[in-house]
Amino acid sequence: MSNAKNNATAISTYGLGRKPSIWENLSNEKYFKWILIAPLLIVLLVFMFYPLIYCIYNSFLQGGVSGDSAFIAFENYKYMLRDRSFWIPFSRTAQVAVICIFFELLIGLGLAVLWNRDFKGMNLVRGLVLLPLLVAPLILSLVWNFLLEYNIGFINQIFVTIGIGRIKWWSLQMALYTICGITIWQWFPFSALVLLSGLKSLPKDVFEAARVDGATGWYTFKRLSFPMLSPLIIIIVLLRTMWLVRLFDPLYGTTRGGVGTELLDWMVYRTTFVYFDVGYGSTLAIMSLYLTIIISAILFRQLIKALNTDK
Amino acid sequence: MIKKKITNEEIGFWIVTIIVLIVVLGPLLWIYLTAFKSASDIFSGSLSKQILFTPTLENFKRLFTEYPFFASLFNTIIISVVSTILVMVISLPAAYSFARWDTGGGHLLFVTISTRMFPGVVAALPFFLLFRNIGLLDTHIGLILLHMYFNVSFATFLLYGFFKDVPVELEQAALIDGYGRIDILRRIVFPLVLPGIAITSAFCMIWSWNEFLFAFLFTRDIARPMTVLISSFWGSIEVQYGTMAAGVAIAILPILIVAWVMQRYIIRGLTFGAVKG
Repeated sequence: MSNAKNNATAISTYGLGRKPSIWENLSNEKYFKWILIAPLLIVLLVFMFYPLIYCIYNSFLQGGVSGDSAFIAFENYKYMLRDRSFWIPFSRTAQVAVICIFFELLIGLGLAVLWNRDFKGMNLVRGLVLLPLLVAPLILSLVWNFLLEYNIGFINQIFVTIGIGRIKWWSLQMALYTICGITIWQWFPFSALVLLSGLKSLPKDVFEAARVDGATGWYTFKRLSFPMLSPLIIIIVLLRTMWLVRLFDPLYGTTRGGVGTELLDWMVYRTTFVYFDVGYGSTLAIMSLYLTIIISAILFRQLIKALNTDK
Repeated sequence: MIKKKITNEEIGFWIVTIIVLIVVLGPLLWIYLTAFKSASDIFSGSLSKQILFTPTLENFKRLFTEYPFFASLFNTIIISVVSTILVMVISLPAAYSFARWDTGGGHLLFVTISTRMFPGVVAALPFFLLFRNIGLLDTHIGLILLHMYFNVSFATFLLYGFFKDVPVELEQAALIDGYGRIDILRRIVFPLVLPGIAITSAFCMIWSWNEFLFAFLFTRDIARPMTVLISSFWGSIEVQYGTMAAGVAIAILPILIVAWVMQRYIIRGLTFGAVKG
């Protein structure tokens, strides 16, 4: 196929039996494709490599921004490995990611199975359920912070009315789970609709056959639907992991990293922008970057695979 | 036609569906209610006052007069529109190149999209110091550049998927017919990916509209967008719930409208094109 395309180019460029002009040379696809991509590469180079090199360089230094820094080789990294204020937010971030993804998938799968039928108002339900998905997480966290306020919050008022009593949503024991809850609330429709689109695209005849053979609903789900959905589940898990390790905005809107809710990015932010410890902050940032590179390496191979098998 | 009898299963189905809708939409609805409540109703602490109240515009009045609300709304619009245009200028040709010639053999596309994972806080400090030195802190251009960097890889990847949907045979036929490269792009490829361009632009604008970390760190006053202004209502000593609700109500309205209009494409956009939705 690409041979035919090359021939076509050859005809259009050289077929007239004269020397090609500069423009024709440039529009030869050998150069043309790189010309098209050049601006993107320049932007990425400037905006990616400058901060990266800056951070790697500073992670070997001790001290702040004022210039009185000293070269200390790997001391920052050594310190980090022993630093509890690194490992606690680190494991907390992992905890948040696991909790959120688990419940989002569970609720999402349930709703996808429920909605996988023809019913009146399907489009309306889908449109409504998608509404909060694109609203800024920061704004939603502010709204939830207000709704979950101890005295005047709407949720606690309902709980008092129905006799459960007020709940301290932002206490040391609860706050992290409250933040998980807010995140799950915003994102379970995403899982539900991705999985629903998967269920709708499954071949009908296989399920017919299973039903004729007398398979129960649960058995069909376990042996047919679930395995066929697993590529989509992988995509959801990877995408959500990628977003959740970067969780920052909901913290700003609610606890500001207090009451046992400090996560990875908040800690980097606090070290660099509150304490202005550039050296150690850079070290933490580099570490955070390594972690995400590992996740994204898995993630985007899968995504590109998914895009290409589709064709 | 015989009217179908409503089964128990159907009743259960609708009960669950309606509960889900209440859970999802309740907080949004509540924001619009609170925006029209007086301070005494908000702080009254009785449930009846939360639902039955005399609507008032005092929150909006205070928002418009005591805070630079329209200035920050204007900042948000300027920054999201200009950064989206820049993103498109860079991403469109690149995405076409990736889709048509597999430039860089897939590795380059992989590198491009991996940059989306680059943590914002890592980029923030070097750029903060750089911008301070060249005077870009608290300017529109500074934030526009950062939002461009933040969106460019996402837009390239999403557009790549849309360009892939255009059959190569169309272009080959046009080449044989003697069309130039630019003509092919303008007359054949561009009209076919126009919906894709619209969707990608909408996503970039929304991400820029919603972006908080860079906006919060890089602006103070002149270029301060709406997310930062609204978040400041809760940081202050006396929490301005009513004003905040009014601000949120206006800030999220365009997002809700766009989400409703392009509901068919939201899943596709959020999964970088991997799930068609």
